[in-house]
Amino acid sequence: MRISRFGIATIVMFLVGIVIFAQSLIQHEENKRTRDLRHKGNYLVSLMALHPMEDFNTGKRDFIVKTLAEYVTSEGLVYCIVHDQTGAPLLSLAHREVVDKIPPDVKQRSLYVNGLIHQTFKMTGTDNLINEFAKPIYQDGEKSGTVRMGFDLPPITIFSPARVKLMAMMAFFTFAMGVLVYYGVTLALRPLQEVNQNFRSIYLESTPASSIEVKNGGVAEIIRDLEQSVVKLRDKYQKIQTENIDLTTKCGIISFEKNNVFSILDSINYGIIVTDIQDNITHINSYMLNLLEKSRSDVVDHPLAEILGHDQITAFILQQEELKHSKSSSYIEATFPELASGEYFQVSLGYLTGKEEGVIGKVISFKNITSEKSSEKAKHEFITHITHELLTPLTTINSYNEMLMEDEIDNIEMQKEFYNTISDETRRLTRLVKNLLNISKIEMGSLTLKKGLVKTDWLCDDCITAVEGAAQKKNITIERNLPDHFPSLFGDKELLKVGIINILGNAVKYTPEKGQIKFTLNEQDDVVVFEVIDNGYGISKEDLAHIFDKFYRSTDPRVTEQTGSGLGLALTSEIIRLHGGEVEVSSKIDEGSHFVIRLPKEEYYLGKQ
Amino acid sequence: MENNKSVLVIDDEAHIRRVIELKFKNQGYRVITATNGEEGLELIKAQEPDVVITDIMMPKLDGKSLCERVNEFKEERPFLTIVMTCRISPTEQDWIDQMQDTVFVEKPFSLSTILKCVDQYFSDQG
Repeated sequence: MRISRFGIATIVMFLVGIVIFAQSLIQHEENKRTRDLRHKGNYLVSLMALHPMEDFNTGKRDFIVKTLAEYVTSEGLVYCIVHDQTGAPLLSLAHREVVDKIPPDVKQRSLYVNGLIHQTFKMTGTDNLINEFAKPIYQDGEKSGTVRMGFDLPPITIFSPARVKLMAMMAFFTFAMGVLVYYGVTLALRPLQEVNQNFRSIYLESTPASSIEVKNGGVAEIIRDLEQSVVKLRDKYQKIQTENIDLTTKCGIISFEKNNVFSILDSINYGIIVTDIQDNITHINSYMLNLLEKSRSDVVDHPLAEILGHDQITAFILQQEELKHSKSSSYIEATFPELASGEYFQVSLGYLTGKEEGVIGKVISFKNITSEKSSEKAKHEFITHITHELLTPLTTINSYNEMLMEDEIDNIEMQKEFYNTISDETRRLTRLVKNLLNISKIEMGSLTLKKGLVKTDWLCDDCITAVEGAAQKKNITIERNLPDHFPSLFGDKELLKVGIINILGNAVKYTPEKGQIKFTLNEQDDVVVFEVIDNGYGISKEDLAHIFDKFYRSTDPRVTEQTGSGLGLALTSEIIRLHGGEVEVSSKIDEGSHFVIRLPKEEYYLGKQ
Repeated sequence: MENNKSVLVIDDEAHIRRVIELKFKNQGYRVITATNGEEGLELIKAQEPDVVITDIMMPKLDGKSLCERVNEFKEERPFLTIVMTCRISPTEQDWIDQMQDTVFVEKPFSLSTILKCVDQYFSDQG
């Protein structure tokens, strides 16, 4: 059987207890023996001193000696000496060798003291300890003698048979108690040890090995409750751990999502600033940092107004404060002349709202609307231009008609001129509307080419005829360089006519009076080449890059003083492109322009298709 | 039918210049014409017309700038300004609303309407 440390400690403690108990018992016995001896000695010596000196010389002497002899055996009396007044022994009840071993100073002190004296000494040459009691005998008020009595200490009676028996019983009882206590404690602790083991199992996240069988119902109940509580605690701990893992995962996901959001904010082509409720910047995206030419650390946690330094935007945000509870957002248009010259931004304000906290911050977004602004401007200019272009011939037609209707023109020639003008302006209007429609159709992809065989001889005739009137008015000669054999094209005759007339018309328009225009047609391999060469005002390098743009008109006064929509060349370019051809232009200012149109021949065009 | 009133017609569109000129000449007005704002401004300074009829979209100096620049002459010597407009954009409308003592006729206009405005102006002048 394995004795536990607790058992060993218990036994040692009991042994120590027994030793201490025995020691205290011996001490008690010794004290008692000394106390009894003192009482006995005092009593007997006082009793002897009561006798008058005569008693020790008369018949009473024998009686006294006999009585003392009994004391020798029963009370440990070693000697009894009665001295007379001179100190000579009058009665001596002792062996001669005993008297000789008494140290002389003991006798001297006893004889010369006037009261009771108790002295302890060792017999000379022995370890025997003697207690001497002495008292003077007084007769008629005077000291007449001295009684000295020596007692040997009585033997310790602690180990008497009765006591040894008692001690043996006590030792047995103590040992038995010790064993019983040990087993009792062991038994009592066993459930606790099992609980401990169970706790260890719980700690190591395994289920308890076995249920506890404890006879003691009260302790068992407590332990069972305790164990159940601990199991519940373990379950809760495991649940918390699971929740903790969930939370850590969620935190990771949130962090990932947050970084994603920031990446998205950084990648969008908007400036974004997020502030807290005190208008301190909490986040700013890369676009905005680039715009402000600042680093993130210069901006985050700083007041918005200080970082933007833009009174208009600050005022706008303050103004919007009243609307912060509404979901609608407003905006203003702002510029940053020092940071982004010529650029326009649409600044919008939104509010961040928490579920319960209400407004928790602001989101200010900056959308670069420069291109929208310029397209809006272009659109506006387009509408203005086109309206003007449409209304001008209409006004002419309307007012000329009014003059004719009201008979304000009585001259026949002038009337004819007025009718011609109305007719010209009607054609101009028609051409403009058709150009517009065609451009729109091309842009929307809904233009259908009415394709067919196009003979270039009458295409050339039609085109030249269309501009001849205008050319004659300016005394411009149109020189035709046409081949004997006219090649054919495959395409939309009317559109091709519009395309060529636009170039020829421009040549007439932008060539001064008495100028010259060459219209050439020839073949080169698989293409038909039309050339229009004039000696007019020419086109500057800047304008050359834009002449095929819609509504583009040169700022050259010689151009602007002529009517024009800026649509003609744009349309020509589109028409030729739709026919698989190309337009080229070269020009020198004040020398003239050279337009080249290349269109695939009929057979090649079909082959290409 | 001759009267001593003069009318300046400023337009880059020859047909319109011509028809207005004819209409007012028929009514006895002295008519002078200019093909752009710059030329018109010079004629206003030199000829001091009683009526200026101008287009807006013109080369060199447009009608808006012309009207703004002639305001200083109007204080010394008042004249009627008639602007031929397309009234198409809000900004143009804003400008129209700001311009005092100016008559706006919308294209395509009736010549009689312009003539009535001018007659009314002179009858108001006494």
